[in-house]
Amino acid sequence: MDLMKDQLSTFRNQLEDFARKHKNDIKKNPVFRAQFHSMCATCGVDPLASNKGFWAELLGIGDFYYELGVQIVDICLATRSHNGGLIDLGELCSLLSKKRRALREPISEDDCRRAISKLEILGSGFEVFTIGKKKMVRSVPTELNKDHNHILEIAQARGYVTIEDVENELNWPSGRAVDSLELLLKEGLAMVDDGHSDGKRRYWFPCIGSMSSDAIDAESEYNL
Amino acid sequence: MGDDFKWPYFFNYPPYFTLQPVKDTRDKQIQLWKELILKYCKHNKIFFIHLEDDIPLFFNASIDRKLTYEARQLFVGALVSEGRAEWMDKAHRKCLVHWRKVQDWAEVILQFARDNGMEDGVMTIDEIRLGDETRGTDLAGIDKVVLIRALKLLEQRGKVAMFKGKSEDDEGVKFSAQL
Repeated sequence: MDLMKDQLSTFRNQLEDFARKHKNDIKKNPVFRAQFHSMCATCGVDPLASNKGFWAELLGIGDFYYELGVQIVDICLATRSHNGGLIDLGELCSLLSKKRRALREPISEDDCRRAISKLEILGSGFEVFTIGKKKMVRSVPTELNKDHNHILEIAQARGYVTIEDVENELNWPSGRAVDSLELLLKEGLAMVDDGHSDGKRRYWFPCIGSMSSDAIDAESEYNL
Repeated sequence: MGDDFKWPYFFNYPPYFTLQPVKDTRDKQIQLWKELILKYCKHNKIFFIHLEDDIPLFFNASIDRKLTYEARQLFVGALVSEGRAEWMDKAHRKCLVHWRKVQDWAEVILQFARDNGMEDGVMTIDEIRLGDETRGTDLAGIDKVVLIRALKLLEQRGKVAMFKGKSEDDEGVKFSAQL
């Protein structure tokens, strides 16, 4: 028991030395930062566990993730009227990076996810979940059932689906497809499009697809 | 039409060209289109819109979508309710867009007069709208109806006196000694 304690203590000291030496790298380099987190996890250390104490003071790292969290909440609120409170994680990170451009402290998806997990712990109604190949961030209480998830998954191909698409790809009867789509519509997660020349109604999902293309100044669009 | 107008993100997203059935979504849609109409008209100095025309504002060729007539009437109607536009006919086919409010035009005229030492000076309506002195300023190309309304406001404030000459070309204003 004592031997283990000693070893752990040695690890922790080494970790603290490392952190002290590489404080700037940890702050400025997302890849380095991710590796640092891994090292901490190996020693059973969570630098984000508390805002006080050694880690917080040495690195200001608690502040860093707190700040990210606040900015993430801002972005989710600003984009909510467009995407209904559901946003692609990659897109969120991209908007976050744009927002922090001036600071010249790049952040990674890993940073984003850590900040969100802190938000999750605070019970602010945030959740990261997977649909198909993508990770989505939910910032509203609306919980999606399996049917909704299936629809969002097939919508990932083109950003929209038709009732036919849902019926064919998921083998559903017409009623089930329409009901699910109408619910997603009501929740503000979908929008209708009757403008195609083929006359078929399309259901688009703003949470899928990107707001952050070069053509748009996302920052001003959303008053970030 | 002038330098490149920056279209907002929603203009390239097909569903925004369909009137949304869900109230919250539709409210947001109306808000976005109202702002775009004002911005577009301001950028291109457009005063009148004929709703039946497929102007670039209502039709996005790159995504092959255009606003239905019903949608156009709804969005313009929302601007009318706010006092930012006016129907020119009973059938609501033509509207005047107040991308700058009349009282703000009055201020622009006043500032122009001050900047150019127009105290006690005289200018005809046509000179203000199309003359050399206003070339390159906001006043160049201002609609006649809007201009006269703005001048009437200034007249009420004692800043100008309007006069009518022998012909329509002679309509104009005398700026007061104290602007």
